[in-house]
Amino acid sequence: MTNGIGRAASALLTYGLLGLMAFLSVFPFLWMVLGATNSSIDIIKGRVLPGEFLSTNVDKFFTQVNAPLVFWNSAKIAILATVLTLAVSSLAGYGFEIFRSRHRERLYRAMLLTLMIPFAALMIPLFIMMGKAGLINTHIAVVLPTIGSAFVVFYFRQCTKAFPSELRDAAKVDGLKEWQIFLFIYVPVMRSTYAAAFIIVFMTAWNNYLWPLIVLQSNETKTITLVISSLASAYYPDYGVVMVGTVLATLPTLAVFFFMQRQFVQGMLGSVK
Amino acid sequence: MDNLARAYLPRIAGLALASVSFLAVTAAEAKEITIWCWDPNFNVAIMKEAGARYTKTHPDVTFNVVDFAKTDVEQKLQTGLASGTADALPDIVLIEDYGAQKYLQSFPGAFAPLSGTVDYSGFAPYKVEVMTVDGQVYGMPFDSGVTGLYYRKDYLEQAGFKPEDMQNLTWDRFIEIGQQVEEKTGKKMMGLDPNDAGLVRIIMQSAGQWYFDKDGKTNVTGNPALKAALETVGKIMSANIYKPAAGWSDWVGTFTSGDVATVVTGVWITGTVKAQPDQAGKWGVAPIPKLSIDGATQASNLGGSSWYVLESSAEKAEAIDFLNEIYGKDIDFYQKILQDRGAVGSLLAARGGAAYEQADPFFGGEKVWQNFSDWLAKVPSVNYGVFTNEADTAVTAQLPALTQGMPVDDVLKAIDAEVSAQIQ
Repeated sequence: MTNGIGRAASALLTYGLLGLMAFLSVFPFLWMVLGATNSSIDIIKGRVLPGEFLSTNVDKFFTQVNAPLVFWNSAKIAILATVLTLAVSSLAGYGFEIFRSRHRERLYRAMLLTLMIPFAALMIPLFIMMGKAGLINTHIAVVLPTIGSAFVVFYFRQCTKAFPSELRDAAKVDGLKEWQIFLFIYVPVMRSTYAAAFIIVFMTAWNNYLWPLIVLQSNETKTITLVISSLASAYYPDYGVVMVGTVLATLPTLAVFFFMQRQFVQGMLGSVK
Repeated sequence: MDNLARAYLPRIAGLALASVSFLAVTAAEAKEITIWCWDPNFNVAIMKEAGARYTKTHPDVTFNVVDFAKTDVEQKLQTGLASGTADALPDIVLIEDYGAQKYLQSFPGAFAPLSGTVDYSGFAPYKVEVMTVDGQVYGMPFDSGVTGLYYRKDYLEQAGFKPEDMQNLTWDRFIEIGQQVEEKTGKKMMGLDPNDAGLVRIIMQSAGQWYFDKDGKTNVTGNPALKAALETVGKIMSANIYKPAAGWSDWVGTFTSGDVATVVTGVWITGTVKAQPDQAGKWGVAPIPKLSIDGATQASNLGGSSWYVLESSAEKAEAIDFLNEIYGKDIDFYQKILQDRGAVGSLLAARGGAAYEQADPFFGGEKVWQNFSDWLAKVPSVNYGVFTNEADTAVTAQLPALTQGMPVDDVLKAIDAEVSAQIQ
C-alpha cells in the first residue's frame, strides 16, 4: 500500500515536472499563435485567448509585406546554404577522419578553435571582403561565409568514426575511386547524419539574422527575419501583424523538422547500426 | 556506378548554374536616391510621401526607401562606415537625435554639411544644435519629440481641477494634484517604467541642461537640473502616485486602458492616445510642469530624429536638394504628414498651415497643434553629446537606489562614476 502511494507520488512528481517543462516550452509558441488572432491592443493587455482578428492581421501582413518575395529570398538562402554546407563540410569531416597525415589533429584543433571567435569580431573584415568582391546586397554573400562550418565538420567527423572501414576497403577492392566511395557508399550509409545536419543547418540559415542584416541592402533582397525585425521596431508596432509574421516564419522550419524527425533522432543516436 | 555518376553530374552542374543567378546585383539606376530608415508606418511612409512630391517636379529622380529596424539601421550604418565600403551606404539615412553626435564625431567627413544650403533659422533651434559640430551643421531636422502634459479632464474634474489649473504647474504642484486625484478617483496620476530614464531626461532638458555640457564634458554631479529631475522622480515614487509599468507596451497600456490621469511625454504619443475612440473628448493637453530652479521652462523634448546625407553618396547634390525642397520649405507637406501620420516636424513655419490651425474634437476642440508648435520653438537647446545612451543606462541603474531613499547627491556621484567608467 505504502509502496503504491510512493509510486503514485513519484509518478505525480515526474509527470508534474514533465508537464511543467512541456508547458514552459509550448507556452511561447501557443502565445504566438494566439497572438496572431488578436488585435495589437489585446496582445499588450496580455490576452491569451483566441481572438477575432486573424483575418485582419493576415490581410495587413500581406499588404505591408511583399510576402512571396521575402519568403522566396529566405528559402533560396536557406536551401542553398544547407546544400552547400552539407556538401563541403561533410567532405571535410570525411577527410579529417579517413585520411591520416602528420598535422591532421593540429589542423583539426585549429579549426575547432574558430568556433570560439564570436561572429561580431569577424563581421567587419568579412564585410570589407564582400565589398571588395562586389557581392554586397547579393544572396551569395549571405551564403558564402556559412559554407565552411566548423561545427558541421566536427559533427560529420564524429559520426564518421562509426563508418565501418570494411565498407571502404571492400569498395576499394571493387575498384571504386575515392570520390565514388564518398558519393555512393558513404553518403547513403550516413543519410541520417545528413538528415540531422540538414535540420540544424537549415534552421540556422533560415533564422540567420545578423549577417544578412549587414550584407543585404534593399527591400528586394531582404529575408523574413529582417522584415519581422522591422515590423516589430515601429514606434507603435502592430503586434498582431508581427505575430502573423513569426507564425509564418516558423512554419518552414517546423515542416522540415517534422518531415525529417525520424532521421534526425537516428542521426543524433549515431548513423550506423 | 558510372551510370549513377552520370545521373548525378547534371544535377551538380545545374546547381552551379543556379547559384550564378544568385549573383544578380541590383544595379543602381541613375539618380535613384536610396534612403534607410525605420518604422514602416511613420518614417518610411513619410519619406515615401516626400519622395513622391519631389519626383513630381523632378521626374528624373526616384526614391528607394528601405526599411530596417532602428537598431538595425544603426548596426548597418556603423558597419558600413567602419569598413569604409562606400557602396555599402545609402544616400540618406535617418539617425535618432540622441545618437547623432556619436556618428558625426566618430566618423568625421562621412556626412555632408548642409550649412549654406539649408536655412536653419527656420527650424526649432534645439533640433539644429543636435546636428552641429564645430560650427558646421549636418543633417535635416525632422520629427520633434516636443513634450506635453496629456491629462484626463474627466478624472481631474472629479478631483476638483479645471483645465486652467493644469496650465502653469510646478512639479511639486503636479504631485499634490496627483495625491488628490488618487484620493478622489482611485486613479494613479501617471504610468512610470522604473527602467526607463525618459522622464528624467524630459525634466532635465526642460531646464536647459543635459548629461554633458556645451563642450561635451560630463555634467552630472554639478548639474542642478539633473539633481532636481532625480528628486522629482524620487518624490513621484515616494508619493506613490504612479502606476508601475514593465516596458514600453505596458506603459502605453497604463493610459490606453484608462488607469492613469496624465501622460508626460513627446508629441508623437498623440496618435496612440487618439487610438481609443471611447476616450474622445476626455483628454486635454497642457505644457509640462516646470522645476523651481534657474532656467526652468515648460518646454522639453523626448526622442525625435533627423535625416543625414552621406558624403560618399553618388547622388549627393540631388539628395541635399530634395531634403531642402521638401523638408526645408514645403509647408503643405508638413500638413499632410501631420494629418496622415501625426508627425510634428521641426520647421516652425509649418504651424501656419491648415492642419496645424485645426481644432481637435478629440481634445475637446483645443488647437493642440498650435500649442505644440509654440512649445517647439521654446525647447531649450542642449548638447546631447556622444554618450547619451551610456549616461542613460547609468541613470536607469541608479533609479532603484533613489527609490530606496539614497540621498540624491550620492545617486549623482554613483551615476557620474558609472558614466566615467563607461566612457573610458
